[in-house]
Amino acid sequence: MSVLASPGPVQGGVRGRTGARPLLRPWLPRKVAPYLFVLPFIALFVAFSVYPMLFTLRLSFTDWRGSGAAQWVGWDNYAYLLGNEMFWGSLGNSALLWLMIVPVQVVLSLLIAVLLNNAKIRMRSFYRIAFLVPFVTPLVAVAQIWVVVFDQNYGAVNGLLNILGLPDVGWLTTTAFAKPTLALLFLWKTTGFIVIILLSGLQSIDASVYEAAAIDGASRARQLRSITVPLVRRTLMFSVVLQTLAVFQMFAEPFVVTDGGPYNSTTTAGLHLYEHITRGDLGTGAANSFLLVVVVMGLSLVFVRLLRTED
Amino acid sequence: MHKGVLMHPKKNTAAAAAGALTLAITLTACGPSITSGAPDDAEAASVDRLQAPATESPRGEITIWDRSGDLFNVFDAVIDDFNEVYPDITVHHEAVDIDAKLQNTLITGTDVPDGVFLDDAKVAGFSEYLWDLSDVLAPYTDDIAPQKIDVNSLDGAIHGVPFDLDPGLLFYNETALTDAGVDATQIETYDDLLEAAREYQEAVPGSAPIHLEQSAFLGQLQLEMYAGQLGTSIADENGELRLDSDEYRQVLGWLDTVNQEGLGTRAEYLSPSDVGALESGDQVFYPWAIWFSFAPEQQLTETSGDWRAMPLPAWEDGGARSGAMGGSSFVLPKDGENADLAWLFYEFLMFHEDGYRAVWGENDTYPNGLATSIPAYSPAADPANPLFGPVQGLGGQDLWTTAVEAGEQIPGGAPAPAWWTGAVDYLGTNVQRMYDGDMTPDEVIEQSTADIQTNLVDRQ
Repeated sequence: MSVLASPGPVQGGVRGRTGARPLLRPWLPRKVAPYLFVLPFIALFVAFSVYPMLFTLRLSFTDWRGSGAAQWVGWDNYAYLLGNEMFWGSLGNSALLWLMIVPVQVVLSLLIAVLLNNAKIRMRSFYRIAFLVPFVTPLVAVAQIWVVVFDQNYGAVNGLLNILGLPDVGWLTTTAFAKPTLALLFLWKTTGFIVIILLSGLQSIDASVYEAAAIDGASRARQLRSITVPLVRRTLMFSVVLQTLAVFQMFAEPFVVTDGGPYNSTTTAGLHLYEHITRGDLGTGAANSFLLVVVVMGLSLVFVRLLRTED
Repeated sequence: MHKGVLMHPKKNTAAAAAGALTLAITLTACGPSITSGAPDDAEAASVDRLQAPATESPRGEITIWDRSGDLFNVFDAVIDDFNEVYPDITVHHEAVDIDAKLQNTLITGTDVPDGVFLDDAKVAGFSEYLWDLSDVLAPYTDDIAPQKIDVNSLDGAIHGVPFDLDPGLLFYNETALTDAGVDATQIETYDDLLEAAREYQEAVPGSAPIHLEQSAFLGQLQLEMYAGQLGTSIADENGELRLDSDEYRQVLGWLDTVNQEGLGTRAEYLSPSDVGALESGDQVFYPWAIWFSFAPEQQLTETSGDWRAMPLPAWEDGGARSGAMGGSSFVLPKDGENADLAWLFYEFLMFHEDGYRAVWGENDTYPNGLATSIPAYSPAADPANPLFGPVQGLGGQDLWTTAVEAGEQIPGGAPAPAWWTGAVDYLGTNVQRMYDGDMTPDEVIEQSTADIQTNLVDRQ
């Protein structure tokens, strides 16, 4: 009898689609199998996300400083933060930075993305890479350049102002200008990344939609308003949520450029949180983290709700 | 839908909720135990005193953390000399971002090094994790600068092997001052310095001769140097705030006068603005730690050689002519496997002539020697036996003798409290407000005291 003609199951081999019983079935109940397949991810997620989060939540109700037994302090850390001027100041600084960064960045990125999406533009690849270069440049290097360029007495920016007959400006040393200067750094550094995200959204729009609009006599501006913006709305909203998270967690930029000064005017929510941690006040730092989570989640939910309303 | 694969939605939700709850309870049980009462005082007061190895030929491996950079290279080069004395001890010398890694390493107790290079200002904050070195240091303590012993001491324990002493000095541009007819060598008190600055400004209109630090952190560090000359600091040995004092009023009042009279250049330490004013002759007096000597040596290319250093002026006739600004020590974590062997390494480095001569003397990294600090150990800091040579950036001046003699005048101190860096948000920032004319010295003291007490001291 030929082996090929055998209708029975092939022991240890690959089974056909029909009539074959999975090898695992004898000892693995079918309803358990899906959970088993996702178990590796769940295990990693629990170990590196859920556990640290719960650990932090627990810490936020203690005065633990890294050694010995932690003393339960109830809501003390939260009460302290909610009555603390510097905590609210850091949130206010982040909110102002958000206003200076996100709306400008969304509009700017969209316009750049639309231009880069135009097939008639020469050297499109070059421009796409050029816009992404600041994003991949190490922040510390960029920050040092910022410190030199915006120096009050010897910086290139004030040098240009002087040529125009304008006085020196304390870009990094006055409360009025430190935040906008920091916002400019963040814009310069991350706008290329948002452009790339929006470009991917633009490329999913069928060209025939624009052709039809052009035949109907729609101008470029009208096409942008009535076709592009509505069709990339989800991508835009994704960018807004992404940058909201980034701005409220902003740490390295103020840490390197202004160290939170002058007068804590650039101490962002992320930097303020770090200050608790560095002085070993882990309980307050943990409580600050959770308050920040609440704020950021609240803002993100607002944007998601706005998106759904539009839908 | 297959009946066996998915459960009823309600059952599914309930199961997920129960699972999540179980998971939450299980996970939150991990970590430090939580008590509702105060910690056991007896337990907290217990000390762990490190003892040197008893064997004649100690053997084993040690891991030593240092910051990357020139100092790492200097310490690295000493290992061969150390191994000539202790051939059976293998030193794993690692360049580490200590500020970023040490706290987590000590908390988790994983891969804890045997010895760590640490800023003096941070020693007290980690004291619970560190060996008390009183016994091993006992043969040397009488010969170590009192300020370095004090800054490393907490509750009767010494937690660091003192590395360097960083005496404050008055750096001045001798060429510019001489051209303006000002003799800086006559300056003995801070009033004299004010007078010299006024004279210089009269001769060089538009200049702002005295450095006023614009970084809140370094400004606070400099303020502590001035206060240290008067034998005080932000907190006493028990961690109690003592900002509200005549000494701080005197220092802040003087800084306010410099600012109000337009005698100060307000800039961040060696920022482009600072360097510009130093090179142009607008800023000619720089009261700073000895490590400013690096600037005329390497950074101030146009005025290199024009600078000199002298002890700081005194706050009153006959007062101390220096205070400490910064400084570092070596600490030995209790969780390190061979801290006793690491002690032998640091003992060799700091207290044996071959060791300290290799650190401060001529070496591959510093051909002229390490001239940015002096040893805290007095037999090493002998004015008659300089370890580093004359500094060309200071016109070939014998900085060693100047610094050692200034260092001898530094009054004893107190450990920097664990909240020292946190105080920068209040004291350091308020000093800047004073420079902006928004606060008086009294307001700086009053506001900073209240804020530090509420936000830092009371929350320890």
